[in-house]
Amino acid sequence: MTVILGYAATILIFFFTYNIFTLGLNIQFGYAGILNFTVITFMAVGGYVSAVLVMPHADTANGIYYILGLGLPWPIAALGGVLASGLLGLLIGQIALRRLRSDYLAIVTLATGTLLYGLAGNVTSMFDGWQGLFNVPQPFAGFRNWTPLGYSIFFVIMAGIIFGLLWLFANRLYKSPLGRVMRAVRDDQDVVEAFGKNTFRIRMTAMVIGCMYIGVGGVLTIAYITALSPAGWTTGETFVVWAALLVGGRANNLGAVVGSFLVAVVFNESTRYLPQMPSHPNLIPDIRYILIGLAVILTIWFRPQGVIPERKNTFYEVPLGKDVNAKPGQTSLEADLAKVGE
Amino acid sequence: MSLFFLTLGFGLVTASVLSLLSVGLSLQFGVTNFVNFAYGSYLSAGMLFTWTFATKLHFPFVIAALAGVIFTSLLAVIVNEIVFEPFSKRRKSIFYMLIVTFGLSLVLDSVLQIFYGVGFEKFPITQSEALHIGPFDFTVVQLWIIAVAILSMIVIHLLLTRTSLGKQMRAMSDNPELAKISGVDTRTVTRSTWALSGALAGLGGVVLALNTVVFQTTTGDDLLFVIFAAVILGGIGQTYGAMLGALVIGIVTEVSAVWVSSAYKQDVAFLILVVMLLVRPQGIIPAQGKA
Repeated sequence: MTVILGYAATILIFFFTYNIFTLGLNIQFGYAGILNFTVITFMAVGGYVSAVLVMPHADTANGIYYILGLGLPWPIAALGGVLASGLLGLLIGQIALRRLRSDYLAIVTLATGTLLYGLAGNVTSMFDGWQGLFNVPQPFAGFRNWTPLGYSIFFVIMAGIIFGLLWLFANRLYKSPLGRVMRAVRDDQDVVEAFGKNTFRIRMTAMVIGCMYIGVGGVLTIAYITALSPAGWTTGETFVVWAALLVGGRANNLGAVVGSFLVAVVFNESTRYLPQMPSHPNLIPDIRYILIGLAVILTIWFRPQGVIPERKNTFYEVPLGKDVNAKPGQTSLEADLAKVGE
Repeated sequence: MSLFFLTLGFGLVTASVLSLLSVGLSLQFGVTNFVNFAYGSYLSAGMLFTWTFATKLHFPFVIAALAGVIFTSLLAVIVNEIVFEPFSKRRKSIFYMLIVTFGLSLVLDSVLQIFYGVGFEKFPITQSEALHIGPFDFTVVQLWIIAVAILSMIVIHLLLTRTSLGKQMRAMSDNPELAKISGVDTRTVTRSTWALSGALAGLGGVVLALNTVVFQTTTGDDLLFVIFAAVILGGIGQTYGAMLGALVIGIVTEVSAVWVSSAYKQDVAFLILVVMLLVRPQGIIPAQGKA
């Protein structure tokens, strides 16, 4: 029973973190039309920075190297990780979010991802190279004497609350004037610019908020599994998030949740139990990536709006001319506005 | 000073490899008007196909390389027929095209990995002693790489300027609608462009593998953004710009080893890409309406 509960807790935590990644990508791509082809790099930056802030000084005598090692309290370290993700997003945005075709941003994100992956792996003094960080202290681990299961359940609740808050914020953002103008930029940048809006700043806001979301997911990931090596953040992982968003339905947060459930939980977990072939240890991961790539391509072909499509706004149109419903002394516009108010 | 000339020599070799690859990517971008993120998989396919022909089927190396190039070209044409062509008709949005090419790179890489594994491969050719030519040191293989690249660039120049197909490609690159109403068979030209792009990716992959000696399925993807840097530097969609960009990126990244560790070669290319995007995103030779 304990094993099953522990497994369920782990899956729930994965579900929540993937949801957070997908919400972040949704704010970038779904709301503002920004192509971020290196989602997982922001996850890694958030996770790594929070880890080196919370971990004690590096044990160089035992061949373990990393920068900082400040041993800060967990909430401050987490905030640091999230800010680092946002900062990286800001830098990339400064380079590529100007008035350029979206190809350029896609190229720059992909290039940054490749570059940081190589740097994190090759420069051992930064985050311990290809080995990656391990023994990352868990949040509130010394709070009381946890049983492993008790701690997992506590973590599920914590991740759930964080996800809930981010979900509410993302929905508020969608409905807000800022969210509306983001979608307008996505649909036609020139029109929005003609209305005097600063499209660069609007897209940059979406970019940074999205990156900070992904950073939160990264902080939670490294805090729960207590380790992260560069092998855990390859381009394929980015595509899992893209698949979740596109299958679920872009620009719809409910779609993002459904997509994360279908792709990150149902699909990823079910392929985990396929029989391994000793001669081909990579066969199952390869097949998984092929299926995820095909799922995205087929979704775009058959149902580009995803399982749960974006709800289009319906605007109330004010009819012209005399209105039969108008009371004496009331113009037709006033009558219509009164009707909308009811 | 000798280190400078040594790295300059390497730079010429790297520029030769990059010129093939960036011209292949740029030609296709010009005609179809979207970036192909699966290009890295094509060049991995080129080197791995050649490896199969050379080591498993025991073809002489030149024949094996030729077969590898033809098969990569076929792969590019087939992918275009079953994926890109239908998609560009059905979904006009550039977002979707880019995501499709990105997803395709994942699919193709994984397929290659199933067949070739993740280990390093090596072509069955012997590395010769270095020859001293003026202040430079080149191996015979490196001289071949430079010769192949120069010859290919001349052939592409002649193709674009002297043949009907080349003129039609340039017309489509300038203005697809105008080309279409002027009687250009856009479908055939697009297909030929993919064949050429695939062949250049394959050839570039083979010479890249000759230059790096060992290679694996991800070698192509690792170089992808260096190719992008060369293409953007020259002006995206511009064939001669891509040649120029490849020359600059190739030489600068290799000569930078005089001052910084050669482990950071790719980072130098990234730096050039960033500076270029900030200062002159349209590239050295800008193309109309592509930036």
